[in-house]
Amino acid sequence: MPKYSHVCRCQSDHARFAEKIYDVVIVGSGVSGAIIAKELSSQGKSVLILEAGPENIYTMNGYNKYIETFYGNINKDNNAPYPFNANAQSPSSLDVDKLTPGVPDTKGYFVQLGTLPLESTYTRVLGGTTLHWQATCLRMLPEDFKMQTLFGQGRDWPYDYETLNPYYNIAERELGVAADVDDQRYFDITFDPNYVFPMERIPVSYLDKMVAKHVDGMTITLESGEARSLLVRSIPQARNGVPNPNYDGGKGYVPVGALGTNQEEMGERCQGNGNCVPICPVQAKYDARKTLYKALQTGNTEIISQAVAHKIDIDPDSQRVTRIHYKSYQDPALPEYTEGTVQGRVFVLAANPIENAKLMLASGLNSSSDMVGRNLMDHPYIHAWGLMPEISGTMRGPQGTSGIEEIRSGQFRSQHAGFRIDIHNEGWGWATGSPTTDLLDLVDNQQQYGTDLRNGLVNNVSRQLLLAFMVEQLPDPNNRITIDPSYTDQIGNYRPVITYSLSDYSLAGMAYGRKLSKEIFAQIGVEDHTYYDPSSFGYLIYNGQEMIARGGNHFSGTHIMGSSSADSVVDRNQRSWDHDNLYLVGSGSLPSIATSNTTLTLAAMCYMSIEQILRDLQTA
Amino acid sequence: MFDLFIDFSVTLTGFSTFRLQGTGMAAPYFETVQKIIGPATLDELLLQYQAIVATANGDAATLDNLLRNTIFNDPKFGPVTRNIIKLWFVGTWYQLPKDWWGAYGTGEQGDSFVVSPAAYTEGLLWPTVGVTPAGAKAPGYDSWVNAPVFS
Ligand SMILES: Cc1cc2nc3c(=O)[nH]c(=O)nc-3n(C[C@H](O)[C@H](O)[C@H](O)COP(=O)(O)OP(=O)(O)OC[C@H]3O[C@@H](n4cnc5c(N)ncnc54)[C@H](O)[C@@H]3O)c2cc1C
Ligand code: SF4
Repeated sequence: MPKYSHVCRCQSDHARFAEKIYDVVIVGSGVSGAIIAKELSSQGKSVLILEAGPENIYTMNGYNKYIETFYGNINKDNNAPYPFNANAQSPSSLDVDKLTPGVPDTKGYFVQLGTLPLESTYTRVLGGTTLHWQATCLRMLPEDFKMQTLFGQGRDWPYDYETLNPYYNIAERELGVAADVDDQRYFDITFDPNYVFPMERIPVSYLDKMVAKHVDGMTITLESGEARSLLVRSIPQARNGVPNPNYDGGKGYVPVGALGTNQEEMGERCQGNGNCVPICPVQAKYDARKTLYKALQTGNTEIISQAVAHKIDIDPDSQRVTRIHYKSYQDPALPEYTEGTVQGRVFVLAANPIENAKLMLASGLNSSSDMVGRNLMDHPYIHAWGLMPEISGTMRGPQGTSGIEEIRSGQFRSQHAGFRIDIHNEGWGWATGSPTTDLLDLVDNQQQYGTDLRNGLVNNVSRQLLLAFMVEQLPDPNNRITIDPSYTDQIGNYRPVITYSLSDYSLAGMAYGRKLSKEIFAQIGVEDHTYYDPSSFGYLIYNGQEMIARGGNHFSGTHIMGSSSADSVVDRNQRSWDHDNLYLVGSGSLPSIATSNTTLTLAAMCYMSIEQILRDLQTA
Repeated sequence: MFDLFIDFSVTLTGFSTFRLQGTGMAAPYFETVQKIIGPATLDELLLQYQAIVATANGDAATLDNLLRNTIFNDPKFGPVTRNIIKLWFVGTWYQLPKDWWGAYGTGEQGDSFVVSPAAYTEGLLWPTVGVTPAGAKAPGYDSWVNAPVFS
């Protein structure tokens, strides 16, 4: 086990940190920071990570405390396991409300200014948001890299799918993706000859099979006139399953189990706990602490936890970063802190799209393109829910094991957004608060008790089907995060000010999603229970179609990547156009968000950046 | 009174004494209800239950009728009874309606809360719908691929 001294939050060491010049200073210990730290430190580079949140890596105890907190928390929201931290706050969906145009909503950590509140969240603890992600790991489609060329919408990437393919392979190894290549070869997604995923696909749920029975082979006609035959397809996911003996030319793969324990004992197989979001109790789901642990084992990585980066210094002549300032606190509740600075040859911002942009803006670095903080994208979700004609065993297994991918691609993308559809194994929970709300309804409104209550619950819960439509959004410079001196936290750091809305492109995709849900429900014989409550914060009407937009937790675009410094913040390697020893990594760099959950792609992009950082360090 | 609380809970949940005791939550729930509504009100409710059980004398329809008329529809007993059901199923004590508190409550009316981490994992809702609580009592790899079994 690495030495405890490699994760430090002691106040006395700040002088030592300030003196040393590290090869690489990284802000943030989420998956992007962890990957970069692990690769560079295993190549002998000295790495320092500044982490705003608390340490939790060394003892099962630290992690298990999160689980106890989750069990005991009356709100089982995305951040339920993670105690409130006043000095490094995270957004919470519980703070989200309907907005009044022109009136900032300042209740939560985010100050919401737009027409639509952004409901999405992240977590500021060691390991970052992967502690509570769902671990869906889809590759992007080749056409997603050419949105402008092919569809006249959004932006092209500075490279194509083929360029990223080898890095996807490395990312799938690090995250430990379980999937079947044959399932994942669609819409021109290609794999290297003989490629297999590290682990075999996670078994699909009984519910998936009940849906597939009716939906596989169902033909639909899109509004563009294009025809599709639907297929329920397994989801690639960073969750431990059965290792694939053919992986890596027959070398196989060893799943990474729980940290702080004997790895054979726990976490080397998913246990079907159905709690991937907000925390996997056995650590069968990948989280970035697994990568951080390997970084620490090199002996070349140090982490200062409870250290919030708040300002970047730039040399006025060379325009290179010279140091980063941080505030180190002992108690998450108290406003006391010590100032520190760190120096490095290369600096990497890996604090997530919102915090990366905030740190740049707080340092007066809007970039020559003025694109820092702009082009904020997410995946708006729309839900449709109903009851299956028969008992389907809902609420078992990982939260998602299958989806429908056919509406991710097509010429229609010149008109409206594409989307993918998740079948939610946890039933209506996300939309309605099920199964607790079902209980409350049966007890409070229907006066049921005893055997009738139990039968009512089985009938209402075990037949639930929720389809979640994850819709693409285009980069729009007006969707953005900014800062305002009137909005700071208790240690004087800026709170993100969010201006967000959905364009017709996404709204039309969402409306089509709802229409398609009705066709699918009719095909299966599902009793539609979808109800869009007008008092909900995400309630909208588009072209007569009611809907509720929910946050997708996939913040993107705020330090957009491009081919020119005139209209983008970072180049193809995620290096700042303006400051050549500064990298901004993560989904903030995505030129298009398309219809893949962002993390696998951002991980692959980090591996590209690492090669350039190594070249930079060689020449420096 | 504790034994009567268990009997009442058996009727309310449809689970056996053995299953209820097996959760380890009977005592904490009894104490929770007692603490919040006061022992006098709880005793009154439980004695009312005892009385109607005696009257029904084993006839299920009569018991159901009496339960609905004298307990569920009673302004004092109804909300508390529904709360006891919810305690057993999800381990959460829900704040009683303001009207109820105004008429029968004493002292500070607290918020809704989860009785303890174990109250969540021991909720009867989960076995009822053939699942384990989200995030606990791992059912094991592959457990989700076949038809569910209810208990
Ligand atoms: C509920 C939910 C479900 C999700 N499901 C999926 C999914 O299924 N598939 C998928 O691909 N993606 C999913 N995501 C998104 C995924 O979690 C993120 O894309 C990913 O975690 C981003 O990694 P990151 O390292 O860039 O940022 P993060 O993981 O957010 O890490 C950033 C780190 O930086 C630290 N930090 C922040 N500010 C500072 C500062 N000023 N100084 C020092 N440190 C700082 C934070 O504490 C944190 O540790 C989900 C997200 C959520 C919330
Ligand atoms: S289903 Fe359970 S065991 Fe599997 S990854 Fe999700 S939370 Fe972990």
